[in-house]
Amino acid sequence: MKVSKEIQALIAERLPGHSLDAPFYLNPEIFEMDIREIFGKHWIHVAVDPDIPEPGDYVTVEIGLNSIVVVRDDDMAVRAYHNVCRHRGARLCSEHKGSVGNLVCPYHQWTYNLSGELIYAEHMGEKFDRCKHSLKSVHVENLAGLIFICLAEQPPADFAVMREAMAPYLLPHGLQDCKIAKQVDLIEEGNWKLTMENNRECYHCATNHPELTASLFEFGFGYQTAPGNAEQIGEFNRLAAERCAEWERGGLPSAEIERLDELVSGFRTQRLPLDRAGESQTLDGKVACGMLLGQFERADLGGLSFWTQPNSWHHFMSDHIVSFSVLPLSAERTLVRTKWLVHKDAREGIDYQLDNLTAVWNATNDQDKRLVELSQQGARSSAYQPGPYSPFTEGLVEKFCTWYIGRLQAGLSAPETASVNVLRRMD
Amino acid sequence: MDINKLNRPNFWDAMPPLWNSDREDSLVCCQVRAETHDVKSFFFVTPDGSGFIFQPGQFITLELEINDEAINRCYTVSSSPARPHAISITVKRVPGGPVSNWLHDNLKVGDKVKVLQPAGEFTCAIHPANKYLFLSAGSGITPLMSMTRAHHDLCDDRDIVFIHSARTPDDIIFERELGLIAASQQNFKTRFICERLGQRRDWPGPTGMLSLAALKLMAPDFMEREIFVCGPAPYMKAVRNMLDEAGFERTHYHEESFSFETLQLETEQASTANGATPISSELAALTGFEITFQKSNRQIVCGPQQHVLEAARNAGVRLASSCAQGMCGTCKVKLISGSVDMQHKGGIRQREIDQGMVLLCCSKPLSNLVVDK
Repeated sequence: MKVSKEIQALIAERLPGHSLDAPFYLNPEIFEMDIREIFGKHWIHVAVDPDIPEPGDYVTVEIGLNSIVVVRDDDMAVRAYHNVCRHRGARLCSEHKGSVGNLVCPYHQWTYNLSGELIYAEHMGEKFDRCKHSLKSVHVENLAGLIFICLAEQPPADFAVMREAMAPYLLPHGLQDCKIAKQVDLIEEGNWKLTMENNRECYHCATNHPELTASLFEFGFGYQTAPGNAEQIGEFNRLAAERCAEWERGGLPSAEIERLDELVSGFRTQRLPLDRAGESQTLDGKVACGMLLGQFERADLGGLSFWTQPNSWHHFMSDHIVSFSVLPLSAERTLVRTKWLVHKDAREGIDYQLDNLTAVWNATNDQDKRLVELSQQGARSSAYQPGPYSPFTEGLVEKFCTWYIGRLQAGLSAPETASVNVLRRMD
Repeated sequence: MDINKLNRPNFWDAMPPLWNSDREDSLVCCQVRAETHDVKSFFFVTPDGSGFIFQPGQFITLELEINDEAINRCYTVSSSPARPHAISITVKRVPGGPVSNWLHDNLKVGDKVKVLQPAGEFTCAIHPANKYLFLSAGSGITPLMSMTRAHHDLCDDRDIVFIHSARTPDDIIFERELGLIAASQQNFKTRFICERLGQRRDWPGPTGMLSLAALKLMAPDFMEREIFVCGPAPYMKAVRNMLDEAGFERTHYHEESFSFETLQLETEQASTANGATPISSELAALTGFEITFQKSNRQIVCGPQQHVLEAARNAGVRLASSCAQGMCGTCKVKLISGSVDMQHKGGIRQREIDQGMVLLCCSKPLSNLVVDK
C-alpha cells in the first residue's frame, strides 16, 4: 500500500485509548485509503435478504467508485457483480433497486444471465468469444439473511468464524421471512468513522436519545458505577443475568460474544433485556408488530444487538428487526441506511403502524446525525486534539479504532498485490 | 409476324374475324412485359390476324412441351376482351414451378404456342350487379384485371372496390394501371394491402393480411356487393371463412383458382403448415391476427406462426428490441388485451408475465392483441 510518510506516521503513532487524529476524519487521502484498505478488503454489510426476495431482484450499492449489483439468481442464491458492462463499461443497473430477467446493459444490450455469463452480444462477429466477457464477480456471504460483500480477490477467511457463532443467535428471528417495512437513507455530514464510533457507545444515550432510552437500558454497553446509579445498575445486571438464562433455556443464545478487535471480520453480539414492557424498541416497549417473527410465541425477548466491523449494526427483536448499514461517501459525508423489517405476512395498518414501528430509530438517527456532525465540526477546528475514551463506557469505541488502525497497519505491511496485478495485466 | 397490321389498308374498316382454336391452334407471342420482378405478361396474336372473343375472367389453356413432356396449363386472361386483337396472360414465377419458370425463361416474341379456346364461368359478365367487390392475391389478380379493364374500356363506371393483396408494395401487379383506372373512373376504387413493406419503406398503405376488420374498413358495404375472388387456395379459403363469419350470402360469391401449379404448391404448403389445426383457428391461421399498438396508433396483422416483433418490423413499426430471442427483455411491453404463446429465454420474469408483460420478439399471437406501445 502506498501512503505518504505523514499518514504512515499518523497510523504508527495513534495514541491508544484516545480518539483519532483529526486527519482521519478530514483528509481525502486517508479517505481513499479507507475505501481501498477497509471497504475494499473486508466484509461489508450492504443488504438484507428481503431486499431481493425473488429471482431477478437486485440492489445496487456504491462503495467508493465501485458500483456493485447484488442479485438473487434462479436458484435463490445471492450473487454479486461489479455493475459494469464488459463491453465499454456502462453501468448495467442504474436504479438502487429493481428486478430483471437477465442483466442487460442499457447501452448496447449486452445480456448476462444471473450467473454473470454473457449470453448475448449483437454485431460482435464470429471470432468474438463471449466466454471471456463474463461479469466480474464479487464475493458475497449471506449470514441468516444479512448480506455481506467483499471486493478483495481473497476475502478474509474468518467470516466463517462469525457465521458459526452468529447463526444460532440470528436464525430464530427468521430475517429471511421478513419484508422491509421502511427504508430510510440518511446522509450525515461527517466521516464514517465518527458514525461508527458514535454507534459503539451509549455514553451519550441518556441525554441525547429520550425515545431510544424509553426501552433501552444505557447500562448494557458499559457504565461506571457511582452511588447515584449503583442500585439501577445492580438491578439491570440482575435482570440481564436472569433473563439471559431464561432465554438460553428456551433455546435463544443470549450471552455476549465480543470479538471486535481480535478478528479481521470483527463482531459483537448480546441479547439484553428491554425496559418498560420489555418487548421491543418502541416508545412503550411493547411490540410494534402483532405478528411475531420466526417461531416466537412470546414477545418479551429483549433486544439482540449484532455489530460488525467496519460498517453495520442490527437490533433483532421478537416482532421486528432494525438493520443499519454505513457507507462512506466522502471524507466528510456518510450514508446511513436504516431498514425496518417485519414478518412478510404482516399487514401495514393492521398488524403494525409504520409511524410506531419507526418512531424510536427515526428520532434516534436524527439525534445521532446531529452528534456526528458536531464531532465533524470539532475535528475541523485547530483546537481539536485526540481526547481520552472512557474506560467504562467507551471500551467498544476503542475496540473499533484499534481494529481500524490494525487493519491499516496490516494493509501497509502487505505486499503490493494490487500494483503487481496491474503490471501482470500489462504483459 | 405482321407488325404493320396497324397500317394495313382496310384494317380499321371492320372487326377482326374470330379466332377458333379448333381451326388454328397456335398463337404467336408478340410481346413480353415485365410487370414486377417476378411477374411477366405474355401477349399473343393469331397468325392470321383473327381476333379474340371471350368474357372477362375466363381462362385459356396452354399446351406446352417442356423437356419432351406435354404439359397443359390454364391461365386466366389478363387483357380486356374489349381489345380483341391481342390476348395476354400474366404469369408469376413459382419457385420450382415447371411451367411458370419455363415461360419466364424461354418464351419470347415470335414463338408459337398451342392454345385452347377461352373458357370458364368465373366472369362478371354472367353475374350482373350494381356493385362489385374484387378480391385478389398475388397473380390471382389476372381475371379481375381483365374484368376491370373491360369496364374501363367500355366506359362502364361501375361501383367496383378492388382489393389486392401482395407480399410487398414491389409485388403489386398492375399498380400504376389500376391507379390510372381509379383516376379516370369515378366509382372504381382500388386498395392494396401488403404483408410487409419490403424495399419501399415509405409505402403508405396498410400492411398485414386481409382480415374481416380490414375488409370492413376498405369496403364497408361489402355485404351488398357481388364478390369475385381469385388467389392462392389458402387466401381464398380465408376469404370464404371471413365472409361466412360475416354471414355473406354464398350465391353472390364467386371464386377462381388461377393457376394449378401454384395452387397445388401453395395448398401443400398450407396443409403442411396447418397440420391438424382445428377448424375454428383455421381462419386465424390463414388471415392472421390484428395487433394494435395503442400509443403509436398503428395496426398490423401478424400471422399465427409469426412473432409479433417480426410482423411489426415487416410492417415498419419500430419497436425497441435487441436479441430477438427472449433473452434481453428490450422488447418488453404491456399487453392490454389478447393472449400470446411466448417462448422466452429468461428475458422476463413470471411475475412480470403475471402482470401482463410480454416479450414481443418471442410471442406468437393466439388472438387479436392490443399492446401498450
